[in-house]
Amino acid sequence: MNFLSRFKPSSREGSLGLILIVTIGITGIINPRFLTGDGTRDLFTSTAVVALLAIGMAPIIIMRHIDLSVASTVGLTAWFIADLCAKNPEFTWVQCFIIGPIIGMVVGVLNGLLVAGLRLPSLVVTLGTLYIVRGAVYVISNSVDYNAQEMPPSLLSLGQKVYFGVMPFTFLLVIFAMLVTAWFMKYRKAGRDCYAIGSNPHAADLVGIKVFRRTFLAFVFSGAMSGLAGVFYLMRFAQVDSTAFYGQELAVVAAAVIGGVTIAGGSGTTVGATIGALLVQTIQGGLAAIGVDAFWKSAINGLLLIVAIYADRTLARKSENALLAQRIKERA
Amino acid sequence: MAQKGDLLLQMKGVQKRFGGAIALRGTDLSIRAGEIHALLGENGAGKSTMLKILAGVHVNDGGTISLGDKPFITGSPEAAIAQGIAVIYQEPSLFLDLTLAENVFIGRQPMKGVAIDWAQAQVEAARLFAELGVPLDPKRQARGLSIADQQVVEIAKALSMNANIILMDEPTAALSASEVERLMTVMKSLKAANKAVIFVSHRLDEVFVISDYITVMRDGATVSENPVTGTDLQKVIKEMVGRELTELFPKTENKIGGVALEIKDLTNPAYFRNISFTVRHGEIVALAGLVGSGRSEVARAIFGIDKYTTGSVKVNGKDLAKGSPVAAMAEKIALVPEDRRQQGLFMIAGVNRNISMESFDRIKGKIFLNFKKERALTEIWREKLSIKYESQSNPVESLSGGNQQKTVLAKWLATDPDILIVDEPTRGIDVGTKAEVHKLINAAAGEGKAVLMISSELPEVLGMADRIIVMREGHKVAELSRSEATQEKVIAAATTGSKGA
Ligand SMILES: Nc1ncnc2c1ncn2[C@@H]1O[C@H](COP(=O)(O)OP(=O)(O)OP(=O)(O)O)[C@@H](O)[C@H]1O
Ligand SMILES: [Mg+2]
Repeated sequence: MNFLSRFKPSSREGSLGLILIVTIGITGIINPRFLTGDGTRDLFTSTAVVALLAIGMAPIIIMRHIDLSVASTVGLTAWFIADLCAKNPEFTWVQCFIIGPIIGMVVGVLNGLLVAGLRLPSLVVTLGTLYIVRGAVYVISNSVDYNAQEMPPSLLSLGQKVYFGVMPFTFLLVIFAMLVTAWFMKYRKAGRDCYAIGSNPHAADLVGIKVFRRTFLAFVFSGAMSGLAGVFYLMRFAQVDSTAFYGQELAVVAAAVIGGVTIAGGSGTTVGATIGALLVQTIQGGLAAIGVDAFWKSAINGLLLIVAIYADRTLARKSENALLAQRIKERA
Repeated sequence: MAQKGDLLLQMKGVQKRFGGAIALRGTDLSIRAGEIHALLGENGAGKSTMLKILAGVHVNDGGTISLGDKPFITGSPEAAIAQGIAVIYQEPSLFLDLTLAENVFIGRQPMKGVAIDWAQAQVEAARLFAELGVPLDPKRQARGLSIADQQVVEIAKALSMNANIILMDEPTAALSASEVERLMTVMKSLKAANKAVIFVSHRLDEVFVISDYITVMRDGATVSENPVTGTDLQKVIKEMVGRELTELFPKTENKIGGVALEIKDLTNPAYFRNISFTVRHGEIVALAGLVGSGRSEVARAIFGIDKYTTGSVKVNGKDLAKGSPVAAMAEKIALVPEDRRQQGLFMIAGVNRNISMESFDRIKGKIFLNFKKERALTEIWREKLSIKYESQSNPVESLSGGNQQKTVLAKWLATDPDILIVDEPTRGIDVGTKAEVHKLINAAAGEGKAVLMISSELPEVLGMADRIIVMREGHKVAELSRSEATQEKVIAAATTGSKGA
């Protein structure tokens, strides 16, 4: 209990949680199935990949960087693992869970070296690796697709596994990753360094923070999470081709930003990022339920992002006003 | 434990160049335990560069540095901290998103097992703030702190490192008299604990009060190193600027005309209440008071950067729209802001672009910018304020702190305003140029311009102003004419003046 109370959401995450519950409630009114055990399970299953990626991306955004290569990395890992499993029928879920993060980390190391080592802007570097990695998938895959029969049954059954009727195995891992990173970001020096770097990069250099190491490792971590997300992708869809998860990187950024990870760096948590992912997915589910078509869904997603950034500003202004009110009292 | 007078650190013939620019051409400095050592020199002389080498931010290109009998390891701030060096930088270096406790202990947070012990960090930070006489809330975010309070956090950070050598680069520039006194108390207690303090300041009066040793630098080389008893103000100034300075505050009597700026009952309940005063053409009015008394906020409200709730601002009898710097600029008002790095400059743009930024009319050609005019304008101000740079297009970022200050000053003076509001016009500016700035302000008044000057330096206030308005905790507590004003009266009003006045 004591362990859990450490994660008692600060007001920001708390209010996000509340918004999530209200949104789920509204969606439930439109489509009562949403509130059933099955509905909840579906929400978790469909959110797992984006939520895991948002957790991986949060430290990077907190450091005032961005990683746009995550969706391509998911595609690459998913296809690679399916290919390996097809060629090695003896593989089980264990090999998948080891190989996935390793492939992701290779992309992460590349990003990390370019951003932290050469001090290139991460927006440009990861936009580059986005195309390079996706290109690599096209070339390597040579238009070969894989379906459920080529994948390890143990992996697929793990993908179907649900605890307490609502909690899929994948989302359980998401929650675990969320708690561990939230703890790390709050209670380890390396985690605090990320906030400092994002808050004032110039001063971070002056106080002797290991900016290279922190930035590099954050990209490697994001890569590893993307690799694991590739495995989650296979577990959910049980099929993969070279366009897998194409163009989803902005959904991940949106989830993190909606979850209160400020794009300007210096603040946000992985708990927020996870709630953000759930919120985006709930709204998507609600829109699908009232029969909104795919084009409008992505437009509404964009709108949501703008609303989130606006809300961020409003909250910042509110806390400024609170400071002012306190001053007025002191001055009176 | 070092004994008083032990040689802790010695720099010999240290050189440093940035690209083509030579910042240090062979400087010496000896630091002894239990000593406060002042490092003086003009803007751009290389003081901050010296300190940054010791702080591990820069690596020297030549010369030797020894720490006791070992060579000093340069090139990494971590190594510097490990070797017992703590630094307060000239540029603010707090993390605004983090709490004050965290800012104090960043990178050195107290641990309990594998986790950071936040409770402990907060207790420790609160203790340090109390020791410095400023009870800041350690759980508060650094964003929104006044410059003076930010300085307190920086000092607490340096103290918490428990270093043997503390480097302070212009720690007093943003402080007013009583806060400077508090800092001096801290410096004395460090000295009593046999630590070494090196500090840089352009306020020579306080240098002579507190320091034991004075090293003067000029153009990247050490000119002299003397115990404070072996030198004097005139000598130091001569060594710094290479000539005698006879008059620091060349006050001229100007013809005072009609009311240019009329402030009536201006109120923003968070910062100031019922402020009324006037500034006439040809007059210099000073706003005095402690840091945080609301002076800068009044100036910002007049210029329209901040809003005010009630009251009015009239320019030449006409109401000025509130909350609109554009309207203020249209009435030819200029404001040189207090926090220049954040509010006054585009750090990565060139010096020329920064200076010409608000004087577009004067440098525009038929269609495009006239770069020749821009170059000429920059050159005029380089000469007037002796701004030091390699080339006009150098980013302002690469200038020394004082030269950045001069650049903002030039930018606003170049607009040729009718009403000039200057917030701390000489902060961080060396003694030679200070006199130049004072002359420029006087000349502006002489041309019939109205000047409102905020300053924490009492000699400047007393030497320059025709009238002095003293503020305390957001209220106007006194208005003194030039003939009435004395140092004692201003200090008394600023610290204990009754708010009814
Ligand atoms: N990062 C940099 N890149 C290029 N030039 C630099 C850099 N830092 C300092 N300089 C140059 O080195 C010289 C010395 O600068 P320094 O900051 O040490 O001066 P200072 O004595 O601290 O002056 P001030 O009193 O204005 O703070 C200046 O001419 C400055 O332009
Ligand atoms: Mg300096």
